[in-house]
Amino acid sequence: MYIIQNAFYNILRNKGRNILLGTIIFIIIISTVVALMINNTTGSIIDDYRSRFASEVFITPNMERMRERAMAEAAGSTGRVRISPPVIPPEQYIEFGNSEYLYDAVFKASTAVNSGNITAIDAELGGQAMRGTIFSGNEVSMPTSFYFSLHGNKFEDFREGLRDLAEGRMPENLNECIVSSDLAELNGISIGDKLSFTSEIFLRGGSSFADTQTLETHYELEVVGIYYDATDEYMQGGRHNAFTNRRNEILTTYETVVAPFLPGYSGITISATYYVKDPDLVPLFAKELYEKGLDSIFDVGTDEASYNRIVGPVEGLRSVSITFMIIVLIFGALIIALLSSMAIRERKYEIGVLRAMGMKKHKVALGLWLEMLIITSLCLALGLGVGTLAAQPVTNYLLAQQIQAAEAASQMPGLGGGAMTIGSIASTGTAVSNAKPLSEINIMLDLKTILQIVAITLLLATFAAFVAISRITKYEPIKILAERN
Amino acid sequence: MSILILKDVTYKYEGAAKDVLRGIDATFEAGRVYTIVGKSGAGKSTLLSLIAGLDVSTGGEILYRGTNLRTMDRDNYRAKNIGVIFQGLNLLTNATAVENIVLSMHISGSKEKDKKAYAYTLLAKVGINKESADRKVLKLSGGEQQRVAIARALSHNPDIIIADEPTGNLDKETEADVLGILTSLAHDEGKCVIIVTHSKRVTSFADEIWGINDGKLFRIK
Repeated sequence: MYIIQNAFYNILRNKGRNILLGTIIFIIIISTVVALMINNTTGSIIDDYRSRFASEVFITPNMERMRERAMAEAAGSTGRVRISPPVIPPEQYIEFGNSEYLYDAVFKASTAVNSGNITAIDAELGGQAMRGTIFSGNEVSMPTSFYFSLHGNKFEDFREGLRDLAEGRMPENLNECIVSSDLAELNGISIGDKLSFTSEIFLRGGSSFADTQTLETHYELEVVGIYYDATDEYMQGGRHNAFTNRRNEILTTYETVVAPFLPGYSGITISATYYVKDPDLVPLFAKELYEKGLDSIFDVGTDEASYNRIVGPVEGLRSVSITFMIIVLIFGALIIALLSSMAIRERKYEIGVLRAMGMKKHKVALGLWLEMLIITSLCLALGLGVGTLAAQPVTNYLLAQQIQAAEAASQMPGLGGGAMTIGSIASTGTAVSNAKPLSEINIMLDLKTILQIVAITLLLATFAAFVAISRITKYEPIKILAERN
Repeated sequence: MSILILKDVTYKYEGAAKDVLRGIDATFEAGRVYTIVGKSGAGKSTLLSLIAGLDVSTGGEILYRGTNLRTMDRDNYRAKNIGVIFQGLNLLTNATAVENIVLSMHISGSKEKDKKAYAYTLLAKVGINKESADRKVLKLSGGEQQRVAIARALSHNPDIIIADEPTGNLDKETEADVLGILTSLAHDEGKCVIIVTHSKRVTSFADEIWGINDGKLFRIK
């Protein structure tokens, strides 16, 4: 107890030296507080975005490989070379979803359909063809115009509040569907009504259109619900016809849409989104997919472009803050070691006296450590306060610099490119992302940061005391006092 | 009663060719004042350092109440069993007189409940009033500092008090006071007081006078 008391007295007795030491420690602590707050906050943000972006896996065809393959297959042929990705059958999509690396897999499917018993909204604007005109010798096969679209498992608008059930329930079983209230009103559709749709699937036998075989498929669906639709009727800038009108979307289950699917046939667009448990598992998951038969023409990856665009400046900020902290800690520790060393030389006589009075070395050392700890704790309390206040403006400034640097880098030629993706196979992973970088970070002082700062402070105090203590152990009181006297 | 026995004690500084102390035999008893006289460099302070447990003899043994200092916890010995009044006083100069005493009591593990009050009493006993007791040592006169050093040496009630030139910087009046205190400690309180001095006046207060010359201790009176 008296050692603590004596440590306090000693601090007051040597104000000048301790103020100098305290100032250095204070500066180190402020820098550490700011750097750690930035580091931990940005760390959480990065983890969050990483789990959101980097855990969502996309299977996208590689355009270059696709072209190479098409060219190789068409070697010697005189017809047009058609580049199209191979079809991933729904069974394979589902099989891919059975992986220990995934925590979730979402499957969607869609196809264009026509109905013999209901009329589409904006039918007067016409429909839309899903394939081109096929010329085979003298025969001309005109493409079918479709007026409706049938979507399996496309319910995200309900989660986002843009669509809501007006009556009935969501489709759960095979051949159940829901329709928009506008379409229901136009056609007098009620819950329990049966709707018939026809569609087409195509088998491309070779590299030219002429080889395409078309099969008509049928859907008999029961209406189990009617929904209000607050989405934009047409996509901005898109073509306006019955098919593109979102009020004509018939929503059903994934299994219903893919029921008529035949291996090798296109016409049903299937997408699957896989969510890996950890972004680091993506390469393993990719390896597993190739082993399960995924064509090597496909790439397995994440939306890195969006992730990098959004989080890149934050990662830069984090890196700057950590580098800054390390530099401050190294130089600070060196300065403290120097000051401690000088201070202990100055206090050599005092230590000699204490040792001559019978104070044991470890108690002298403890006293010195406590002095350092008290000074550091005071600096910590002040540093936490000032550091917390300084962290936000410092972050804003540094982040703005990082965003500016990232923008400058992205405008340089040769940067910002990426693989081209095709949207008909999987959810599109945009290569050149339009995502906006994070421009604001709300810096928080959480318990973890406080504990880290306390630990660093303790280490700092211990290091400074250690430098002093290591010198004490070399001193014998008789020598110190003899030198003095 | 023999409290301290020196048997064939020798001491040689590291790297030195010659022993500073050679074959020293002496016995010191409680309740007596001893003075050790000798020329500068004769080995008086070295002998005092060995008795104070600040250093270890290179040969022979020093027995405190029958235990060899070499085998003892010498920090503990210095803190509890011996009080040293150094020639250079060796007080904590940026602390007050009373703080010096209280710290010494703490180090010795004194059981005194009100250490500060006891420190004031001790300081008063050696002629330091409360006002001076609360002043930093650096601001006290040489005589006052000497008294503080004596009070500190007494603070843990040791069996042996050793003093290295305790009156070197003092005027005659203060010297008499200080010697009176030290004599009283031996004769009235049963302490063993060993004083190293050049002064003949100091030796007149001693019960035994020892001389030291060329590393050898011999009894004069």
